[in-house]
Amino acid sequence: MKNMGECILVVDDDREIVKAISILLENEGYEVRKAYDGLQALDILAQEPVRLVLIDVMMPKLDGLSAVMRIREKQNIPIIVLSAKSEDSDKVLGLSMGADDYVAKPYNPQELAARVKSQLRRYTSLGDIHAGSRACELKNGRLLYNTEEKTLYADGEPVKLTATETKIMDLFMRNPGRVFPAEEIYRRVWGEEAYASENTVMVHIRRIREKLELNPKEPEYIKVVWGIGYKMEKQEKRN
Amino acid sequence: MDTKWKNRKKGISFLIFFLGVTLTLGSIIEILSNKPSGVPVWRLDLLQEDDYQQIGSFRSYIADRLESFLIMAVGGEGLWDLSGYWGEFSEEYWEEYSQFQEATAAEDYAQEGETSDALPSLSEGELVSYLQGLIDLQDIYRNMLNDSLDPENPDKDQLNHWKEILNSYRDELNSYQETLNASLGSQRRKIKSLTEQQRQELAQKYHDSIKEDKNILYSIRYDGKTLYSNSDLLPEEDSISTADGCPILPEGYNFLLYFDGERARIFKDGQEIDVYKDGYYRDESDWYLPGYSNFQADDTVKKAAVYIAAAEKPVPFNKTFYENGKTKLYDSSLYWIYTNFQYRLNKLQKCLAVLAAGLLLLTVSFFLRKSRREAARSIAGFQAKIWLECKVLLFLGLYYTLYMIFVFVITDSYGYSLWEEWIYTYEYSFTADSLVRFSQQVGSSLPFQFWIMLFWGLWLLWNDLKYNKKPWRCSLAARLSAAFSAKELKQPLSRKMSRRNLGLLLGTALYGTLLTGIIILSGRHSREDFPVLLIPAIAATALFLALQFMAGKKNMADARDMEALSRRIARIRSGDYGEAQGDTEGHIPGRDLESVMEQLDDIRHGMANAVDEQMKSERMKVELIANVSHDIKTPLTSIISYVEFLKQEEGLPEHVRDYIKILDEKSQRLKNMVQDVFAVSKAASGELPIQMEALDFGKLLRQTLADMEEQIQSSPVTFRTDLPDTPVQIMADGQRLYRVFQNLFQNAIKYSLQGSRVYVTLKTDGCLAVASVKNTSLQEPDAEKDYTERFARGDSSRTDGGSGLGLSIAQSFTEACGGTFSWRTDADLFVVEVTFRVLQS
Repeated sequence: MKNMGECILVVDDDREIVKAISILLENEGYEVRKAYDGLQALDILAQEPVRLVLIDVMMPKLDGLSAVMRIREKQNIPIIVLSAKSEDSDKVLGLSMGADDYVAKPYNPQELAARVKSQLRRYTSLGDIHAGSRACELKNGRLLYNTEEKTLYADGEPVKLTATETKIMDLFMRNPGRVFPAEEIYRRVWGEEAYASENTVMVHIRRIREKLELNPKEPEYIKVVWGIGYKMEKQEKRN
Repeated sequence: MDTKWKNRKKGISFLIFFLGVTLTLGSIIEILSNKPSGVPVWRLDLLQEDDYQQIGSFRSYIADRLESFLIMAVGGEGLWDLSGYWGEFSEEYWEEYSQFQEATAAEDYAQEGETSDALPSLSEGELVSYLQGLIDLQDIYRNMLNDSLDPENPDKDQLNHWKEILNSYRDELNSYQETLNASLGSQRRKIKSLTEQQRQELAQKYHDSIKEDKNILYSIRYDGKTLYSNSDLLPEEDSISTADGCPILPEGYNFLLYFDGERARIFKDGQEIDVYKDGYYRDESDWYLPGYSNFQADDTVKKAAVYIAAAEKPVPFNKTFYENGKTKLYDSSLYWIYTNFQYRLNKLQKCLAVLAAGLLLLTVSFFLRKSRREAARSIAGFQAKIWLECKVLLFLGLYYTLYMIFVFVITDSYGYSLWEEWIYTYEYSFTADSLVRFSQQVGSSLPFQFWIMLFWGLWLLWNDLKYNKKPWRCSLAARLSAAFSAKELKQPLSRKMSRRNLGLLLGTALYGTLLTGIIILSGRHSREDFPVLLIPAIAATALFLALQFMAGKKNMADARDMEALSRRIARIRSGDYGEAQGDTEGHIPGRDLESVMEQLDDIRHGMANAVDEQMKSERMKVELIANVSHDIKTPLTSIISYVEFLKQEEGLPEHVRDYIKILDEKSQRLKNMVQDVFAVSKAASGELPIQMEALDFGKLLRQTLADMEEQIQSSPVTFRTDLPDTPVQIMADGQRLYRVFQNLFQNAIKYSLQGSRVYVTLKTDGCLAVASVKNTSLQEPDAEKDYTERFARGDSSRTDGGSGLGLSIAQSFTEACGGTFSWRTDADLFVVEVTFRVLQS
């Protein structure tokens, strides 16, 4: 397997969860190190070449967020926080402490695996190789759009989109953060006056989400602004 | 284009109605006031009668003539009564008569002078009343004499002597009065009787004055001789030859009356007219001529015979006297009757034509009544905008004008007041008949413009009242009072009360001043009563003012206290349970409201404590739920993870796969429930973060429906939507509101009857936007049940997949966004309404 040898540290005080994640990741071909509290995690990190950390927040001895801060003092590896706290404020706190991603418990195993994969790919390949983006490339989080090739890359891999979907993504990638009413999307993509456009646009957006979102049911990039329109969420760049 | 034509049609139909009513009304009034008396309006044939000899005034003229001619024939006393009709003749006659009277009067005075030297210059009447006064005076003196009699010392002889003198004097006066009256009576008789010569002169004069009027040819015969005649074309004998049916008449004459001394015979256009009918005279009989069984001529006219012929088309007869350069117009009464009749006929025919046109227009307007009614409504709409005061003034002006017209017409026609006219005509009988006749009489003398104005004035009033309910709403007074009350409402209590107190104080001061003024004005002539009344009045006013001032001061203090109290209540209501601030809110002992303040403070304390407790427990509850849900989530994570592995395991027996499937479903449901419980507890405790923004309600519903399309497509129910195309801007948190409708739609899908329809509508009603979701319930809805209660579900056995928190979350989130959430059941229909205030741009 191509993920062979990449070492991931899983930290949680619940041994069953650590075991479940280990099984999940080992099935994906990763090598897993296990820790059951923050201090243990720091120990392992000091000794082993870990490429990614999955860490719970509420743990004995040293809690997850403190551990993340301690890790960040030395290392720049991707950290995904796992927590039972699912509120937005918790997520914001975790991300601002230096985590790269935040997954709420109970998580969807496939999603977790996808997120791990995404973080690793960005860290290993994109993070270094495409450090300086070219003029024809528009970047937003894990998405990259080449305006000349009209191609969308997610985590460095091209996403297969239909012509209409490409036009929609072209619109979104060129204007991240801007809210488009369905009528405008319809007018600009289909090139005709909109009538009952909501359903048509929604169908296409749903298909795009399935192709590029890690969890299409909780999209991170293409979002509905309820009662107003649709937008591409601008992902904050982590320094 | 369409509305333009509609408006035009409205205008035209109303114009037709207006003209129709005006013409019909005007012509009917004109016909009524011009029609010959005694002819009913509906007898159109009589109204259009074009022969002037058929009308009453012609008949009565001929009858009058016959009477005059008969008087001339017999030379009777009635020659006196010929006066009045014939201009110049009567003038001459009256001149003669008055000379005659003066002569007799002078004679009388001479006689009076002999009997009573003292009163030479009095007329008979004055003399009679003077005498009567003297008699009355006698009686008065006698009574005074009786009264002034000293009962203790009656000098009876003296008294009786006086009485005797008085009585004899009175008797003398009485007898003198009698003689005077008798002599006056004889003088009157003397004046009335004429000599034979005078009679002949009078008759001849009368004859001379009328003979030149050839519209009437007459021949007056007595005792076989022709006395007076103005034509030799009339027969010269006392009987009329009717062998060929009708006597020959001169050219241009078509009417002949022959009176043979007993009866009259009338021939007209070669036909004899039946004058007497059944032989009895009645009020309604056509001819007022002697010869009826109950209306006989006296014996003196037996020898008389009179011919009267009337011209077919009368002309005026004039004669110019070149000696004195005067032109004399002869009587020509028949000509005037004729021309008046022609004029009236002409007018009546025109009126009938106008009436026909008016009725035609009314018929047309009947067919156009729909648009006419619309026009009336438009007029009413215009009327509604006019202030009531203006309308009242306008109507008063109109009716005042009409009243003035009425008064002018009445004074013009009758010369004195209407009331007097009534009294003269009908004395004091107020029967319906006399009222109707009198009003007819008065009504016909008013011009038709009056009635038309009256009609339209009343129509406008009726139209206004019909379409504009509560006309007083749009009035200056209502607006002013609304403005004032709105202004007053805004003012604090103490200001309002001080104003009222001030008003009362001023009122009392004014009252006292007025009272004092009245006393001063009325008492300035009598110096004695002046201070007696004035001092108590001033004292009472001053006392009253002082009392009011004191009471007002106290009231003002109370008002300030009440204001403080109401401020405090308002503060407590808005959730501020803190201690009273400042001295305005602190209760001062001794004030009227002290106990109320204290009680309010107690309530405040109690509430503050209760609210604190409540908050504390609510916070604890949320914390508890948060902790519990976190604690549940950790094991749940393991469960979900391992179930996932199990799902991926290959080679498991089929029944184990079933078990795993159940585990998977239930663990997912548990996950949803934990999330829902957490959300609802946060929302209920008000800790839910809300990001309000302006959004389009309709678009949100469409997006939600689009988002859930797959779910809807695969469900056994159909969604019917009725959403406005225009944006409905509201202020809400889109994410939360999406969740509300997601839950509502999911509920509708889950709990609807198979194949039924779910109706999603959005309506704006003024400033409110109401979104409703209606579905036909699968289970019979329990009207008693509160579905928004947490964990409440249509089916109490809780075997379906829901958390039971759907409606509860929808309600909590709606309310967190500032909307209103309501639900109701109507038979099997389950209706949820989410209401938001529309954002005014």
